[in-house]
Amino acid sequence: MSTKFTKEMVDDYADKLLIGLTREENQMVLDEFEIIDETINTINEIEGIENVEPMTHTLDDFVYELREDVAEESVSIDDLLSNCDMNNGREVEVPKVVE
Amino acid sequence: MKYMNKSIEELHELLKEGKVTERELIDESLELSKRVEEENNAFVTILDNIEEKEVTDNLLSGIPYGLKDNYSTKGILSTGSSNTLKDYVPFFNATAVEKLNNAGAVLINKTAMDEFGMGGTGTTCHTGVVTNPWDKIRMCAGSSSGSAAAVAAGVYPYATGSDTGDSIRKPAAYCGIVGYKPTYGMISRYGLFPFASSLDHLGVLTRCVKDSAIVVDEMKGIDKNDMTSWDSSNIHLRESLTGDVKGKKLCYVKEICDINNYPNATDELKEHLDNFMKTIEKAKEIGIEVDEVSVDKTLLSAVPAVYVVISCAEATSNMSNLTGIIFGPRAEGKNWIEMVKNYRTQGFSPLIKRRFVIGSYVLQSQNQERYFRNAQRVRRLVVDEWKNLFKEYDAVILPVGSGPAKHLDGSKDILTKDTEILEEHLQIGNFGGFPSITIPNGFISNMPVGVNITGNCYDDENVLNIAYALESTMPYKGQIAGGEKHE
Repeated sequence: MSTKFTKEMVDDYADKLLIGLTREENQMVLDEFEIIDETINTINEIEGIENVEPMTHTLDDFVYELREDVAEESVSIDDLLSNCDMNNGREVEVPKVVE
Repeated sequence: MKYMNKSIEELHELLKEGKVTERELIDESLELSKRVEEENNAFVTILDNIEEKEVTDNLLSGIPYGLKDNYSTKGILSTGSSNTLKDYVPFFNATAVEKLNNAGAVLINKTAMDEFGMGGTGTTCHTGVVTNPWDKIRMCAGSSSGSAAAVAAGVYPYATGSDTGDSIRKPAAYCGIVGYKPTYGMISRYGLFPFASSLDHLGVLTRCVKDSAIVVDEMKGIDKNDMTSWDSSNIHLRESLTGDVKGKKLCYVKEICDINNYPNATDELKEHLDNFMKTIEKAKEIGIEVDEVSVDKTLLSAVPAVYVVISCAEATSNMSNLTGIIFGPRAEGKNWIEMVKNYRTQGFSPLIKRRFVIGSYVLQSQNQERYFRNAQRVRRLVVDEWKNLFKEYDAVILPVGSGPAKHLDGSKDILTKDTEILEEHLQIGNFGGFPSITIPNGFISNMPVGVNITGNCYDDENVLNIAYALESTMPYKGQIAGGEKHE
């Protein structure tokens, strides 16, 4: 069995993701997670589950080819900064980090 | 509506014969876009000043279409229907967009979707709820909600979609149209906003199977910018539509299709499953052999949770770049942490936040084995089960959802204890990367319902041909919402 996912843990994980949750949003996580947890309990009872290789990719026959190491034109700084609300010349502006 | 209710081939012929001009098509599609925006809230952006393209021998040239708003479009707003990217204008085109451009396709609008594709109701778009053109009090499902609504309402013959769980194939069913996602990697994912990379597919929504084949023939191809794409130059979808299906074998799964699995079945569900069996009879009439098979119920019941665990884990990682610092509308804050937190807290809908927290939890080192790895193990077991079926059968045929589109006032988009495999089984197509197509197969409560056909990887031609043949046995091909109703 898992450690119980608590309201405090939900807030802690949200905080680590730099996301704030309302009380209702917190409760929604717990409600949905309870169902997932029940299913995972069932999964753990599948015989030999621990011996199954986890499936990380959809296809198991990807062909990887090394491309020639040819220099290509890179994206212009202007393009890269075109969606940045605060920039100065070639730099992204951020608040002072070291006081 | 003069032209936009027609198929791609019909429009192409009219253009080539000079019976209609490209400008007329664009103007009609724009006018319909405005109407459908007002009625169903289907779009994020409707383009102005659309330039004509050269009409060539390419079937898509000069013909209007729509793009789901998670396809990157150079110089055109691309929001993923999220407030976190409400002013984002990409400086490059997704590969699929580039290919459609090169074919001469004419982009009319960007369609609304569940935020970043992470919902199945069409209710989490930053521009508001997308409603079903057959009945505005019902949902379109999602996440390709706007694309489904627009194609069903006859704005143009096709719009693109993306599908991580069932995001093309379920909206297609709810809107009475065709939704096709090809084998994983057949269409490059480059430039598609990523949700869960191991499950994300691009595809298309149309009003007939042949149009789906025509569009994906243009969108597909290996791409150096997506290492999971593959060479499909030997696959010719349109040419493969012969309609000859004699000797083909389909199966359906008893544990999903038998009404006895659902003790509290509604009348709509009973009707839906009865209707599905009628479709099976039609398949048999055209020479397809259809068997009922049995699949371990424990595995099937695990599918929705496996999907949530894997997709949330991958999404949490994929969307960690959304900070509002280097792109996106920057939030206020006295330091960068506060700025990012305010941006993410204010920008994401509650559904997205919930999924990120679950994703983060299952990826923690102490939880990873129990949740994430075990979900990946069950994913393999389910996929192996389906691959075993494909050794004997050309495809699996199953009903889509538990009936027609749900009422909007009941939408929650959350797993509940009574969520059944019937609602979620299309996710198996994403687990295995299988080619999968939904076609309309009837009406219940005056709303369309659909049936899905899913085959083995790389067997897209076969899957589409079966769908094409089955489509010809039913009167729903090319139907437009609000047009002729079927009782």
